[in-house]
Parts: sequence; C-alpha cells; structure tokens
Amino acid sequence: MKEHLLSWLTFAPTAGALLLLFARVLMGAREETIRRLALALSLVPLGLCVPLLLRFDPMASGPQMVERVPWIRFFGFNVDYFVGVDGLSLWFVVLSALLVTISILASWRAIDQHVLAFHVFLLLLETGLIGVFVALDLFLFFIFWEVMLVPMYFLIGIWGYERRVYAAVKFIIYTMVGSALMLAAIISLYYLNGGTTFDIPAITENVRAGRLVLDPATERWLFWGFALAFLIKVPLFPFHTWLPDAHVEAPTAGSVILAGVLLKMGGYGLLRFNLPLFPQATEEFAGLLCGLAILSIIYGALVSMVQPDLKKLIAYSSVSHMGFVVLGIMARTEMGLQGAIFQMLSHGISTGALFIIVGVLSERRHTRWIAEFGGLARPMPVFSALFGILALASVALPTLSGFVGEFLVLVGTYTSELAHARAYTVLAATAMIFSAAYMLWTLERVLFGEITREENRHLPDVNGRERLTLIPLAVLVIVMGVLPNPILRRTDRAILELKQAVRGAVLVQSEPLGRRAPNPALFGSAAREQAESMRRR
Amino acid sequence: MESLGINYRAIGPELVLTVTGVLVMLLEAFSPGKKVRDGILAAAGIVLAGVAALALWEEGPVTAFSRMVIVDGFRVFFTLVILLGTLLTIFVSWGFLDEERIPPGEYFALLLFGAVGMTLLVAGNDLMILFLALETITIATYVLAGYRREDLRSTESALKYFLLGAFSSAFLLYGIALLYGATRTTNLAEMARVVSGPLGQAEIVLLMAGAAMLLIGFGFKVTTVPFHVWTPDVYEGAPTPVTAFLSTAPKAAGFAAFLRVFSLTFPPLGIESAADQLASHWVAAVTAMSILSMTFGNFIAIAQTNIKRMLAYSSIAHAGYVLIGVLARDWAAVAFYMLVYTIMNLGCFAIVALWARRGDERVLIAEYAGLGFRQPLLSFPLAIFLVSLAGFPGTAGFVAKFWLFKSAWGAGFPELVIIGVLMTVVSVYYYLYVVIVMFFREPKEEVPRVPLSRAFVAAMVVALVGVFYLGLLPTRVFAVLNTAQNLLAIGQR
Repeated sequence: MKEHLLSWLTFAPTAGALLLLFARVLMGAREETIRRLALALSLVPLGLCVPLLLRFDPMASGPQMVERVPWIRFFGFNVDYFVGVDGLSLWFVVLSALLVTISILASWRAIDQHVLAFHVFLLLLETGLIGVFVALDLFLFFIFWEVMLVPMYFLIGIWGYERRVYAAVKFIIYTMVGSALMLAAIISLYYLNGGTTFDIPAITENVRAGRLVLDPATERWLFWGFALAFLIKVPLFPFHTWLPDAHVEAPTAGSVILAGVLLKMGGYGLLRFNLPLFPQATEEFAGLLCGLAILSIIYGALVSMVQPDLKKLIAYSSVSHMGFVVLGIMARTEMGLQGAIFQMLSHGISTGALFIIVGVLSERRHTRWIAEFGGLARPMPVFSALFGILALASVALPTLSGFVGEFLVLVGTYTSELAHARAYTVLAATAMIFSAAYMLWTLERVLFGEITREENRHLPDVNGRERLTLIPLAVLVIVMGVLPNPILRRTDRAILELKQAVRGAVLVQSEPLGRRAPNPALFGSAAREQAESMRRR
Repeated sequence: MESLGINYRAIGPELVLTVTGVLVMLLEAFSPGKKVRDGILAAAGIVLAGVAALALWEEGPVTAFSRMVIVDGFRVFFTLVILLGTLLTIFVSWGFLDEERIPPGEYFALLLFGAVGMTLLVAGNDLMILFLALETITIATYVLAGYRREDLRSTESALKYFLLGAFSSAFLLYGIALLYGATRTTNLAEMARVVSGPLGQAEIVLLMAGAAMLLIGFGFKVTTVPFHVWTPDVYEGAPTPVTAFLSTAPKAAGFAAFLRVFSLTFPPLGIESAADQLASHWVAAVTAMSILSMTFGNFIAIAQTNIKRMLAYSSIAHAGYVLIGVLARDWAAVAFYMLVYTIMNLGCFAIVALWARRGDERVLIAEYAGLGFRQPLLSFPLAIFLVSLAGFPGTAGFVAKFWLFKSAWGAGFPELVIIGVLMTVVSVYYYLYVVIVMFFREPKEEVPRVPLSRAFVAAMVVALVGVFYLGLLPTRVFAVLNTAQNLLAIGQR
C-alpha cells in the first residue's frame, strides 16, 4: 500500500462515494446511516495523512512518494498518471482531508434534503481537491482542476440559500473563463517544450536549466494564461466578484471548502506554475500584482467593515487575507513565500471555522444579520470563546496562526527587491488595523453588550457535535500560532528550490544542493537544532 | 487502362447493410408489425456490417471498382462511427415506434438505407460516388424527418430539409462539374495528382469556382454557419429519435467527405501548384466558417427555450469545432471527435426522446424542472452527457476537444484554438442551464415517472460507458487511429 499512498489518498473519497451509493441502492441505508458512513469514509483519507506526514522527508529534494504510470499514449500525447507531494503541496493535501471531515460534521443537521447526494458530491469534491495538489502532470492537473468544479456547482446550487442558482452559475462561469485560457496556455507550453511531455517537474527543470527559453512576448501571454485562472480563484481584486455570492449562498460545508481549500488552489497554482515557469514575466508583472494585492487587502477590509450580513463579512475578509498571499508570493523572498503558504493554511482553518460559526448561528436563528444578535456571551459561553479565538486568529493576533502568516509576508515584502517594497509593506500593514477594527467590532456586536432580542436569551450553546467541529480548529489555530516550525520546516526545502528556480542559479552555486539545511535564519534556534539533528541522522 | 477491380469485399459493409435493409422491408410487407424481430435483424445486420468493415482494417490504402471506392483506416473508422450511431438510433427509437404506431420494418429499413449512403460516402474515392452516396442519405432521411405525417411540424421539417437539401445537392453537382472541367477527372486520387502541379489560368478559375461550390454544398450538409439556417427547424420538427440520427451519423459521414475532398485532395503543398493556390482560399473560407459556427451556434443556443433547438444550435457549434480539425488536416482527431460526439449526442437525445413522450409534447427546457431527484436514472445520465458536450475533463468530450485543439495549435491555428476554448466557456452556460432546471428548480405540476424500456437502458449503458471509457482511457482508440493514420500517410506517398 505504501508506494500507492497518494493514489489511496486521492481516490479513497471516490471509492467512498461509490460505497455510499451502494449502501443506499443495495442495503437501503437511511439518512442517519448515510451521514455516519460518510463521516467514517471521510476519516480514511484523513487517517492516511498520518503516514503521509510521517514518511515525508523535509530534507529531500523534489517531489516525494511519486507514482508514475503511463496513462494516455499517443504520438506526442504522452500523459502520465504522475503524482507526488513536495513542500508546496503537502499541507494542502492535509488541509483538504481535514476540512472535508469537518464539513460533514458541520452539515449534520443543516442538510436534511438529498442527504445521499450531498455526501456523494462532497466526497467526489475531495478527490478533485487532493488531486489538484498531488498532480505532477499538466494534463492530469487540469483534469482535477476542472472536475472539482462540478460537485462544487451542485453543492452551491442544490443546498445553498436563496440566490444559490445565480451564485452557482457565476462561480462556474468565472472559473471556466480562467481555466479555458489556462488550457490554451497548457497546449502552447506543451508545444514550446518540444511537444512530448506534460511532466511538470521536467518542464520546470527545462526552464531553470535554460533548455526552454521563451521569447518575452510568448512568456507574457503564457504567464497571464495561467495567472488569470489562479487570480480568479484566489481571488484578487478585480476578479473577486464571484466570491461574495458563492460564499454567501453556499451551504456551510460549501463555504468551508470554498474558503478553506478552493481559494488556496489559486495561490498554489501561482507558486507551482507562474513563478518557476515564467520568471521573467513574473518579474515584469510583480509590481502590478502587488498593487492589486494591496488593493484587495484594503478593499476587502473596508467592505467587510460595512457588511450587515455576518457571512458576507467573512467572505469579504477572505479577499483581504488572500491579498496577503499574493503579496507574499510576488515578493519572491523566502519569508514572503513561506508566509504565503502559512497564511493560506491559517486562513483555510480560521475562515473555514468562522463559516461554521455563522452556520451555528443561522441554524439557531435562521438569520445571519449582525443586528439580530448581541450579548450572546451569556447564553452561549463556549460558542463565544471559540468565536473569539477564531476571529482573533483571523485578525492576526500574535500567538495565533494568522499572525505568523501575515508577519512573514510583511517581512518578506519589506526585504524583497521589489520597487516600492516599503510602501507595499506599510500599506498592507495598515489593513491589519482595519481588519482588527471590523472583527473586534463584529465580536462586540454579536457577543457582548445587552441582549437586544428576546429570542437570543435562551439560545442553546454549541452541542457536542459542533464542539467536535470547532474545538479542533481552534486548537490548531493556537498550535500553529505558537509552534509554526513543524509546518515551516516541511515547506522550507521546496521554497528554497522554488526561489532558486526564480532567481537563477546564484544559490545553487554557493552551496551544493544536496547538503542544504532549512534556512536557519528563519526561525532561530529551533530550526537550527532540527536541521542539526536531521543532518546527524 | 487498368482492370475494373471488382472486389466485393471492399464494399462488404455496404452490401451487408443493403441486403439487411431489403430483407427487413420484405418481411414488413409479408408479416407487418413485428418490432422485435425486425429490430434484432436490423441490429444484427449493422453488427455484421461492422465485422465486414473491421475485416478491411488490415488492408492498407487500396482501391476497387475502377478506383471508385477506397479501403483505408480512415474509411473503416468512420464506417464504425456511423454504424454505432445507427445502432444506437435503433435503441433510441424503440419506444417511439410503438407510441407513434409506425411500421417498424419500414423505419428500420430506412435507417439502414441511410447508413448505406453514409458508409458509401465515407468510402467514396470519386466525386460521382460522393454525390450518389449523398443522394442516398438524403432520400432516406427526408422520409424519416417527415415520419409523423399528421404533425405539421414534422411535415414542415421534412419539406425544409428536402428543399434545402436539393438546393445544396445542386451546388455540389455544379461544383463537381466545374472541377471535372478543370482537371478532366472526377477521381479524387487523380485529381490530387493533377492539382499538385501548376494549371492554366482558365483551369484555375474553374477549379476555384468548383471548389467554392463544393464547399457550399458540404457546408449545408455538416450544418456550418452561414449554411445552417435549416438546421434548428428541421431538428425541432423531426421526431426526436430521427433528430438524434440526423445530428450524428450523417454529420460524421459529411465531415469524412469534407476531409477527403479538401484536406486530402487539395492540401496546401507549400510548393507552386494549383492545390496550393486553392488551399490558401479554402483555408481562409473554412476558417471563417469555423469561427462563425462556433460563435453563432453557441450564442444563439443560449437563447433557446426548446431543448431540441438548443441541441441543434449546439450541433452547429460543434461543427465549428470540428472544422478546426479539418483545417489542421488531422483526420484522426476529427474521426475521434465524431465518435465522441455521436455517443454523447445520441445519449442526450435518447433521454430527450423518452421525456418528450408521444408527439414530442414535452420539449421545453422549463419542462425538465424537478426531474433531478425524482427520476435520477434520467437526470444524472443527461447531466453527464451535457457536461461531456460542454467538454469537462474526465469525460470523452474533453479528450476529443483537447486533441482537436492541440493538433490545431500544432498546425498553426492558435487564434482558432483560443476562440474555440472561449466559446466552450459560453457553451457551459446553456448546457448547465438544463442541469440547473433539472436539479435546482421545483416543478409547477407533479412530475410523472417515465417507464424505462430495456432498449433505452441498453443505449444508456453503451453511451455512458463510451463517455467515460473514451474520457479516461482513450489510449487504445488513439493507438488504433494512429496506426490507421500512419498507414494512410504511407499510402499517400
């Protein structure tokens, strides 16, 4: 089983979806059984993440646990089933598995129609999510990238709120525009690389080693072909307009997956494709993208501030937080890149959890308007504590996960070679104030003060199942904030190599590749000790 | 003078189909109304014709009957696509024959005669054969389109089809005459040889005019803009199983002939020759047709409320995509696309036909509301076929489009590829609109359950397996096509 770990991870959910269908068709399983079975099945990929993490070698170069089987063979049309993980993708795989399980728990009571179909789509979606992160073949990547749209579309369209159809269509059209251009770019890149392979590491290596040289105009086109798809997904201002609709209209599980994983595909795509494949174009457009990132950060925060709808507020705060990700990526310093990845993970967990918080409230009161609440701390103390922790993580309070990510991005931007790097840093940092403002104000309006509505006086606190969804996420947010090293250590190597690919061979020459430790400057003595111990082993 | 080259094996599939067709018709005359018997006989004939076609697989490009008929992988593959389309049409028509009280033998015989014309069109190596085959197809299909005699729409459909079909045949025939004038031959191989050298000024003019006429004629047959106007009306008016047939098998045959004449006979040679002069013109014209078909077809499809009209416009759009493959002169990509299109489109129409009930009463997209969870065995397959038509990865529709676009990019048509992928996005809107209605809208009245016949289930299974097999594991079929393409290339040299 071990050499097929990633395939198991990717396709266990598909098998699970089929099992669910069989359980209904052959054994006539009832809804409650379907829910339990789906939860159990979603634990399989989550459990498989344990050996994944144990076997992942933070020191090794290139993708690990690689599986490669010829898939479609046709002159020049050499598509492989080629999967593997490296530091860039590892944590996103874990995040996907985790959030799907949490989503199933979170929709236990909220989803009471077409329960079977809901869980089947959710599990199919998981295959798409994990597939995107492990695929190392462009064709395979594109397949997963698109396949995941269909279940998401159904999740929003069937189980969403009032304007679900509009939101579902908007979501799919926006994404399809991006991916259509990416497809054209993929085909073009394939020919430019000699028309023989879709192998991502090989193409990346060709670019790095100077075997594949693109003329500047072509590189610009290809850069945008890929970038547009990713920036729509991220989403960066001005491509963000699908996001509030999709997030707000989606059911809780849909919002959790959207915010938690789907947006991360955009950032991941930029890291995996745009930076290493088109370094010149990246250099050229970094300023523009940083500018847009700053706009997203500030715009998202300002719009959040005036939202009367709690779910919309969190949706717009995503625009703001994901702006940091693009900023960190475009800074192209080690810290910036690390920060971008960390911010994505942190945002995935904290925002995913905040959507569950909204779900908890709207299940009880059937409204998401902030003005409807107030003084909830008294009837719902545990809920309020969790809300508080998660909201503070989202505003990047030190010792919580959001801080590590945003801090790294800011430092990374400050020390970057971008023109106006300092201005970017200052502007981005001001947005942290805005975000503190809107989140704290929201906390105040929802949790504290007098109880203004009679209905709120006796709201039940979070029950066991809800605690089971929220507490692990709250704990993770704290652990990641206090001990970020276990995560950073595993992404460090991939980041270094990515940076080398982007910045030419300067670092490669100064130190042989195989002996490089994780960057000791990054997190002080802890990382240095770990590096030492790894070397001794 | 070479020998007559009488070789009955070379027209094996056509012979088998003709004999079966005559047999079915005779049986109908003597003991009418035996649907199961006639159906099985017709299906057996088609399978046998498939075997006869496969028997020709190994034979490289050879000709027979005074070089009127050619045997090559190109022909065999397209023949198989046509036979598959016809076979699925028999399944799709199963319930419809009872509902409309149509004499089954007659109907099956017409399908078979239509198929004879199509396979002959694919086999033709001479413009006269092409014309003969086209006429055979059209006569059979005119009758099929007007099958619901008492229904005005059906009659209108048949009449329109007949008039415009006759019109386009006239263009074709005129074109053939002019080409004969220019090259002194109707044989395609001979014509290719003549045009590979320079021609006199008068001949060039004739050649251009003849090719233009031919292009118009083929443009009608494969429903490309601006020669598409008849399509929506005919597709809407014809009984749905017949529409399913019209939109797939004859189109595959039409594209085969299109390729045979334009891509293989008048290729851009890159040297000073009549073919090259001509090619620069037909490539420009086909590029325009392709762009127009993709944009018009997709945008107008959005506005449709009738699912049959929507699929008609989608069919025009797909013709636009396929023309990209014709331009890239990659016949294998086109053949694969037509195989996939035949499967997914027939799958769609099978469900549309079943849902439409007697007399095509229920064909508005709005009438699909609530189908989703009430009859999942109809709604999920339909959703899958639509998603495949839209070209989502994991389905055959994606692989087919990808191959087409890939080879067009390699052949130097990147702008067409970009228009193609953007139009694909547009198409997502209207294909998924049906899905929206099925799953996300509540019905106005109680949704009845439609009983599923065995033939329908068989058609569904074949089509679904096809969509996923070709979508996920196309290597085998690719390899087959690759071999055929190589053999053909060697033969041409």
